[in-house]
Amino acid sequence: MAKNDLIIRVAGEGGEGVVSTGDFVAAACARAGLEIYTFKTFPAEIKGGYAMYQVRTSPDRIYNQGDTFDVLCAFNGEAYEVNKHLLKPGTAFVYDYPGGDFEPDAIPEGVHAYPIPMSKTAKEMKSYRSKNMVAMGALSVLFNINEVTLKQVLTKKFGKKGEEILNFNLQAFEKGKELAMPLKKTDPWRVADATAPKDVIVISGNDAAGMGALLGGLEFFSAYPITPATEIAKYVATHLPKLGGTLIQAEDEIASIGQVLGASYAGKKSMTATSGPGLALMAEMLGMAFMSETPVMLVDVQRGGPSTGLPTKHEQSDLFLAIHGAHGDAPRIVLSVEDVKDCIDMTVDALNLAEEYQCPVLLLSDGSLAFSTQTVPRPNPADYTIVHRKMWDGEGTYARYKMTEDGISPMVNPGTPGGMHIATGLEHTESGAPSFKAETHEQMQAKRFGKIKPVVNRYKPTEVDGEGEADLGIITWGSTIGVAREAVARLRAEGYKVKGFYPKLMWPMPVEQYEAFAATCKKILVPEVNYQGQLSHFIRAETSIKPIPFTICGGLPFTPIQMMDRVKEII
Amino acid sequence: MSVAALHKVDLKPKDYKSEVSVVWCPGCGYHGILSSIYKSLAELGVDSSNLMAISGIGCSSRTPYFIKSYKMHTLHGRAGPVATGAQLAQPEQAVLVTGGDGDGFSIGGGHMPHMARKNVNLTYILYDNGIYGLTKGQYSPTSRPELKAYTTPYGGPDEPMNPLLYMLTYGATYVAQGFAGKPQLCAELIKGALEHKGFSYVNIFSQCPTFNSIDTVEFYRELVREVPEGHDTSNLGAAMELARRDAEGHAPIGLLYKVNRPTLDERLAAIVTKVGGHKGYDINKIIDLASP
Repeated sequence: MAKNDLIIRVAGEGGEGVVSTGDFVAAACARAGLEIYTFKTFPAEIKGGYAMYQVRTSPDRIYNQGDTFDVLCAFNGEAYEVNKHLLKPGTAFVYDYPGGDFEPDAIPEGVHAYPIPMSKTAKEMKSYRSKNMVAMGALSVLFNINEVTLKQVLTKKFGKKGEEILNFNLQAFEKGKELAMPLKKTDPWRVADATAPKDVIVISGNDAAGMGALLGGLEFFSAYPITPATEIAKYVATHLPKLGGTLIQAEDEIASIGQVLGASYAGKKSMTATSGPGLALMAEMLGMAFMSETPVMLVDVQRGGPSTGLPTKHEQSDLFLAIHGAHGDAPRIVLSVEDVKDCIDMTVDALNLAEEYQCPVLLLSDGSLAFSTQTVPRPNPADYTIVHRKMWDGEGTYARYKMTEDGISPMVNPGTPGGMHIATGLEHTESGAPSFKAETHEQMQAKRFGKIKPVVNRYKPTEVDGEGEADLGIITWGSTIGVAREAVARLRAEGYKVKGFYPKLMWPMPVEQYEAFAATCKKILVPEVNYQGQLSHFIRAETSIKPIPFTICGGLPFTPIQMMDRVKEII
Repeated sequence: MSVAALHKVDLKPKDYKSEVSVVWCPGCGYHGILSSIYKSLAELGVDSSNLMAISGIGCSSRTPYFIKSYKMHTLHGRAGPVATGAQLAQPEQAVLVTGGDGDGFSIGGGHMPHMARKNVNLTYILYDNGIYGLTKGQYSPTSRPELKAYTTPYGGPDEPMNPLLYMLTYGATYVAQGFAGKPQLCAELIKGALEHKGFSYVNIFSQCPTFNSIDTVEFYRELVREVPEGHDTSNLGAAMELARRDAEGHAPIGLLYKVNRPTLDERLAAIVTKVGGHKGYDINKIIDLASP
């Protein structure tokens, strides 16, 4: 990779400005026309604990968090201890010294060390909170972080709090610069120079899902707090009322999805967002939505499970639950996002599909995307199509579950004369009257299953990466796609014949597309962040492909090098 | 209930009957409750197409099938949240929830406090027969310990709960109790509940001649006492005192409590107005907040 594809990791105690430092650096790079992809880990505790924020920046498109850091900025001894095994030859190490809470071991051969007395300087300025500003000043000098855009970002942030606070922070920033200037730069790492600014936004996966909900014409959202999905509700709660819609916080996840179902029945485009434990609670109501043919949309930001599991950690282990998690035969449409841009666009898609097919639609995101901020082309509202449900034309006698050619029956809003009907979880006839006859259940199941079948032909977000024959094809999903893209590109550059297949419509499964891809590959590797190999399972069950699973579940995403090494072993 | 849905038509109680035949056992108190509902709807002139009748699962949860209206037959215990969503989506429509003691206070017990405290603008009629009927006679949260039932062959180990105290404690703004054997009173209480703006709760004692052998019509006749004249329905303490029952254990029937405070949909509408959502807001301004 080019040297201007740079990864800076800032680490320290939660609450001492790690996150804001990362945010400032990322925003400054984005303002300078560069791409960014950030990656964070948080402690599960409310205050304190180890926090890490990593910014990857490059003039070119970035697909993942990267292999490891090039630059480590350690705010304290714990940050050093956690990361010191990653201080490999060639990496740069900026650390709080002297005057900090630690003294590093002998600096390993080849590591470029830059001690900056961050705490000491902050103490001299009589404000511990300025420590991260000192660090940022030093980083900007050492690694060519654009000073103009960085100051713009600081002004934007602190300007609101008054001139005094702004000037104080800028002073601390200058001190940091002064401390770094005399140091002799021995490493090759520098942020790429500014290019023409691009029309981008910088947004996290969770905020992006909220923005997608607004762009998709959402009218009602019912929330229940759960890590790592709650930011979606916060975003929607802040902005949906501006567009006339409402968000309420329910007493539990069962109530959330129940309220969504009720509001949708009454004619409003509705959704909720949760994580695995919440999704488990919603299973019964999702079955009801399928049975009563009510559009509902749900975002599941997956986290480490089962049970309470690893609430703040990354995992992709809800695929089974998302597709089949309900009693009876009650599948639904399941989508999965690759990156933050997808979190916007596919939230719109998911809302549209729910309205079009009158069924539950689940959108799977994951813990690493939830908080990852990325540069995304600024969405233009005019570019999004909003699909509305098929409505009754008022002609003849209304039957809610009328058999139609495409299996989709027109809906009607309460208040409409002549449209009275029942939406029910009991098996029912076309009019909604309960019926437990064999032929009714068989016909109605065929209707409900049949209507979502065409999705595979009409909605094709799945991508094939590469052409012709390959020795190995990678099939993967979710944010692991971004890792696969880079691994495939680097392997190709090394001369390997590899391809990628990146499904985003998880159910119904586009079986023909899977088969067509696999026919061009000698072997199929399926990397995913769960123990059982859940996508591998569906591939074996639904296609003739014999995948080689590659699973990890350590709470972190794959790295490109990890995937490349595995490919080289088995190719 | 939404005032907008009232006094729109002039119909007879029978005009609110749907084409679906009632499926309850002969002698069940629910027949009387259903008649009271028809009567209340007729007296209030509710247009059927402006009414959403919503229920969970249980004998009483079959009620929507028998009413001419928009309706939902949902999951066991979940009528409350579904009705809340429907009400918020269409605040101009009337919402009526019907359900039993097991549905509302056992499996659905987690939802009851929140409809009450949030003052969701709907009417909840709870048919209280102290038994699970649809699953053939298990004891419920309002069963008396003396009841020997399907899963309590030696009597129940639990004390019954007090639905009225529960609702008063959690902030319901209309709390009443009736008895299926007094259909005129039930119709008055239901009518008052439907007219009330906010969360209105009517608990109606009902015999289950099939499965509850001890809570008979005679038992209820002896149990109930009308709310005394002069009771101040705006006095929460007095309402609670009545709900606690008197020294002889009599249960009050009549209107215990009625106050006004803003409903959930009104409060949400106020938020929309506060941030300018009622007059149109440019979504681009929201998107631009994410520029670096």
